[in-house]
Amino acid sequence: MPLTAATSPPRSRRLHLRPIRLAELSFLLFLAVVMGLPLLFLLAGSFNLSAPGKPSLYGIDNWLRAFTDSGTLSALSMSFTLSVVRLIPAMIVSVLFAWLIARTDMPGGKFIESVCWIAYFVPDFPLVLAWILLLDPNFGFLNSVARSLPGIEGPLFNPYSFWGIVWVHTSTGGIWFKVMLLVPVFRRLGATLEEAARVAGAGTTTMLWRITLPVLAPMILAVSLLSFIRGLQSFNTELLLGTPAGIYVYSTKIYDFLQREPRAYGEATALGSVFLLVLAVLLFFYWKFLSGGRKFTVVAGQGYSTLRVKLGKWRYVAFAGCLLYVAVAMLLPLTFLVIGSFMRRYGFFQIAAPFTLAHWQNMLTDPIFLVALKNSMIIAGTTAVGGVLLYSALAYLLVSRRTIAAPVLESLSWIPHVLPGILLSLGVLWLFLATPLRFFLYGSVWGIAVALILADSPVTTQAFKAGLLQLGADLEESARVSGASWIYTYRRVLLPLLAPIAAAVGLMNFGSALTSISTPVLLYSHESRPLAILLLEYSFTGELERAAALGLLITAIIGAMMVVGRKLGLKLAGSAQ
Amino acid sequence: MTIVKGEIVMGRALLLMFVMTIAWLSNAQAQGGAGEKEWAGVVEAAKKEGKVVVAGSPDPVMRNDVIPKFTARFGIPVEFVAGRSSQIVSRVETERASGIYSIDVFLAGPDTSANELYKDKMIDPLKPLLVMPEVVDVAKWKNGKVWFVDPQEQFIVRAFSSVATLLFINTEHVKPDELRHMKDLLNPKWRGKISSEDPTTTGAGANKAARFYVQLGEEFVKHLYIDQKPVRTRERRQMTDWLARGTQPICLDCREDDVRPLVKDGFKILEIFEIAGAGPTINGSPWMLSLANKAPHPKAAQVFANWILSKEGLETYAKGYGSATLRTDVDESFLNPGNVPKKGVKYFDDTDWKWIVGGRHENRDKVWKLLKAR
Repeated sequence: MPLTAATSPPRSRRLHLRPIRLAELSFLLFLAVVMGLPLLFLLAGSFNLSAPGKPSLYGIDNWLRAFTDSGTLSALSMSFTLSVVRLIPAMIVSVLFAWLIARTDMPGGKFIESVCWIAYFVPDFPLVLAWILLLDPNFGFLNSVARSLPGIEGPLFNPYSFWGIVWVHTSTGGIWFKVMLLVPVFRRLGATLEEAARVAGAGTTTMLWRITLPVLAPMILAVSLLSFIRGLQSFNTELLLGTPAGIYVYSTKIYDFLQREPRAYGEATALGSVFLLVLAVLLFFYWKFLSGGRKFTVVAGQGYSTLRVKLGKWRYVAFAGCLLYVAVAMLLPLTFLVIGSFMRRYGFFQIAAPFTLAHWQNMLTDPIFLVALKNSMIIAGTTAVGGVLLYSALAYLLVSRRTIAAPVLESLSWIPHVLPGILLSLGVLWLFLATPLRFFLYGSVWGIAVALILADSPVTTQAFKAGLLQLGADLEESARVSGASWIYTYRRVLLPLLAPIAAAVGLMNFGSALTSISTPVLLYSHESRPLAILLLEYSFTGELERAAALGLLITAIIGAMMVVGRKLGLKLAGSAQ
Repeated sequence: MTIVKGEIVMGRALLLMFVMTIAWLSNAQAQGGAGEKEWAGVVEAAKKEGKVVVAGSPDPVMRNDVIPKFTARFGIPVEFVAGRSSQIVSRVETERASGIYSIDVFLAGPDTSANELYKDKMIDPLKPLLVMPEVVDVAKWKNGKVWFVDPQEQFIVRAFSSVATLLFINTEHVKPDELRHMKDLLNPKWRGKISSEDPTTTGAGANKAARFYVQLGEEFVKHLYIDQKPVRTRERRQMTDWLARGTQPICLDCREDDVRPLVKDGFKILEIFEIAGAGPTINGSPWMLSLANKAPHPKAAQVFANWILSKEGLETYAKGYGSATLRTDVDESFLNPGNVPKKGVKYFDDTDWKWIVGGRHENRDKVWKLLKAR
């Protein structure tokens, strides 16, 4: 049974030595410049003690100041604790969701998946406020409902607490991102392995535990790694819910240094370097795991089957469970958010004539709205297509065992994930201004798109890499034996198999580009201002209702693109079958 | 004879007065004419530059009122780079390090204006460029002149001076009589009932704590910010909502423009400007005006700077933002009377140059040390 072919993807065998070296060198040079240089600028800047415009004076004072600042260590410890506590249940639920959606006959899987996609792109700031309206100990809707129950007097929920932060964070972004990345790889898992296990007498749980999860380990680990570091950098939820309770996280400390006047970028970079260290340690174990002689190939040239696990009567229970989670974690606050965008004052039902269309009208008639919409569509489209093309090629190169510099290439591709957004933006700004790129990228929509493509590097590369690791060598070998060129093989064999992943990450990048604030904030100009910056301006000036309306509009655009993207992905995937 | 002499003297005096009046009027007219001519020349040159780039806070009034009015008046489009001062200055510094000069006008807060734009020599003298007749007319200014706050009195204009709110209370939960003296804030009854912008980081919360440190001393700050367990936030909307709902009915750092809509909606919220124990305060919010050096559109920048200091410019901003200007001819009927500084009252000036460049930072550091060491 050709179920698990050799781990080492054979694509390198397809390429002659020179082209792969050329590709490797090109990527090395490209990543060193676009990822390494901004980091270098930042690190060098962190040792510069003089004020802007003054001759440089180097020393370690910024680093000392950053790490001796009171509260830094306790904030770091709180960040780690929160990140770990959030990660474990979120990964369990995400894997379960992905498995149920992609590998079982649970009804309504596509609906649940669509909700996950939409949920991920709902702006978190108004959503956290919606959770406050639901959970506040004094006026929260759910606490009011709970108080009406017999035997309950005090508030049941409190968002301004450690567990409140864990819950709100998990519900606003903890699950959806992971499900989005995991479903395509679960879906692509050939059923032959599971069928063999079933023939051998394994039950559903044993099959999931002993077969499905181990072969999907690269993606599960990559998603865990991405989520853990993302968790360490998490900021908005902690700011709104943690500050009133005296809970400060590491990102808050970095934010503090960035907000000081004059700004303390040196100290902020010094603190940010902890993320680099954490990444280095985690990547080391990740590589060690992948290179441990394990086999992850799940799509081979023969016997590929996508039959799903039959859950019997439990399929309805599973669907009800998923639906309940989605309803509580997302639909409930989302409903408040939609209502909020039509309220004169978000959450204040007691005022006279509480509902209005004014926020939507004001937003749509804002003279810069249409310009920003056009800019955003150009930026998001370019980011989605550019990211897929670039990082699918990089991932292809990384899984090829012939690349000497794979660890360096991979490390460079992770850099944007460990730099706080505003620092990445500053690094890219330096890169643009210090090179001839400034003449055609600085201040333009294309410059923002390039920066966002760089920011998407870790997620996109890892998603493609995990997908490529699943492909068996015989797929390409068969094509080659049949006389197909590499291009033809890529187009007719690899691309259709990777289409669901490409559609997923392309769409994810499209959505991230529409909602990203920290990356374009130092790069936009009057002409290239995107919707996300408009959203920032509304939030900054306390126009929360208009921000909610704009956030929902962005979510609707992403929803529409999701339908198009899915049809395109399925079409490409379908053409291969 | 005496009568005749007197008549003659009086007649001469009247004649002299008449001649002097005519001469003064002619001179004024000539000067005004020259001023008008110079102004027209500047406007003409500005139009040729095509646009002006203004950096400032994204206050809705700027986008909705100020820019459309300016463009309608002069036909010069405004590119508005909006954002937090820290982000704008970061960007400008990085641009300048690469030889790019993109900003013409800064509408920045006092901290940024004094401690960054001025200190880092990013701005040009503005005084010689003020030529619009109604701007240079000293009679139009409450201080008898345009107020340049920098030591050379050349670079940074302060156009606003409002009495700052000390605190807001929700009178359904706190009676005004219960807060007659600042020490009343330390009543255990208000423990956990006071909200403040997080005083442990840069911002309005830390600035107010620094002022209390100077005015009321370390012990007061310790009792208020530690023992009274005020609920902290960094999101201004959160504080305003707490105030309206009464969960934290005393708000130290809510903003007047955030609270105004609540009052219109019938919430029983009282703005308090002064309580015994702490003197009243004025500040220069929302911005101070300065011109970038090496500006790409210097004439357009000059026109914008002059116009924003004119009656039309300042009145537009003041109405949208709710601040008292320093012009004498701006309608102030829309303001809460408490916002307008009164003659003869001694105010603590929270935007005073020395305080901004030194005192505030020193005292803020003391507050941080106190609060973080708790």
